[in-house]
Amino acid sequence: MLLRDFFSAETVQLDLAAETKDDALRELVSVFGLDGKSEGILYKMLKRRENLGSTGIGRSIAIPHCRSLVVNRLRVAFGRKMDGLDFKAIDEKPVRYIFLIVAPPLEVSNQYLPVLGKIAQFGKDPDVPDALAALESPEDFLSLLESKGI
Amino acid sequence: MHAQLELLLEIQDLRTQRHGMEDGTLADVESDVFAVEVADAIEILDEKLGELETRLTEEIGERYSRMARKGMRAVAPVIKGICYGCFMAVATARASEAGRNSRVENCEHCGRFLYHVV
Repeated sequence: MLLRDFFSAETVQLDLAAETKDDALRELVSVFGLDGKSEGILYKMLKRRENLGSTGIGRSIAIPHCRSLVVNRLRVAFGRKMDGLDFKAIDEKPVRYIFLIVAPPLEVSNQYLPVLGKIAQFGKDPDVPDALAALESPEDFLSLLESKGI
Repeated sequence: MHAQLELLLEIQDLRTQRHGMEDGTLADVESDVFAVEVADAIEILDEKLGELETRLTEEIGERYSRMARKGMRAVAPVIKGICYGCFMAVATARASEAGRNSRVENCEHCGRFLYHVV
């Protein structure tokens, strides 16, 4: 499957309200429509993963990720904050583009690792940061993914 | 949600995270893409797991430890009435009950703690 197939317009937030990394994680988790308790558990797990090392991979991109029992299938979301957020990224620069990936501990089709790899590959494309900055709608984001054919 | 069930979920999720750090491919991604020091990460996770496990009640803690020692996932999600630990149907009445995560219950087939995924 292509990366495009895992995203939908509803899980793309081009103007995150968050002013901090923690708030951005909370805001992105909220797009999955889980109940409050599950959102809290998921947020806590993402924070625990961040405590092991930032998921900010440089070039303004972060890929927070974790597995958790509170989701029943792989879920992905994208958020953009053009002012940038302090993510303690590898290159120490602010993060503008956040790809969130969560999955249950066991998946029938085991997509978690391939999707994580595809997003990392997408993030390494030299054209991608500028293309993400130029997006005007969630549909543009989906078209961008499609155009890369990853 | 029952506080002990929430604690069990957190423990199980952390164990999954720890397992990921030992899994060849995922550990490589964590190390190569995210520059995680895998050995340090495992140490941090073990410390946190130890801390959380002491917060389980005696009865739940003993049951959890027995399964953990056998390498079993101690908590299994229930999706559409199926325990995803043993893939057997959970009793219908129990599976459909409202407020189903408000108490700690175990699968009658495999003994795992059950978490009903909403």
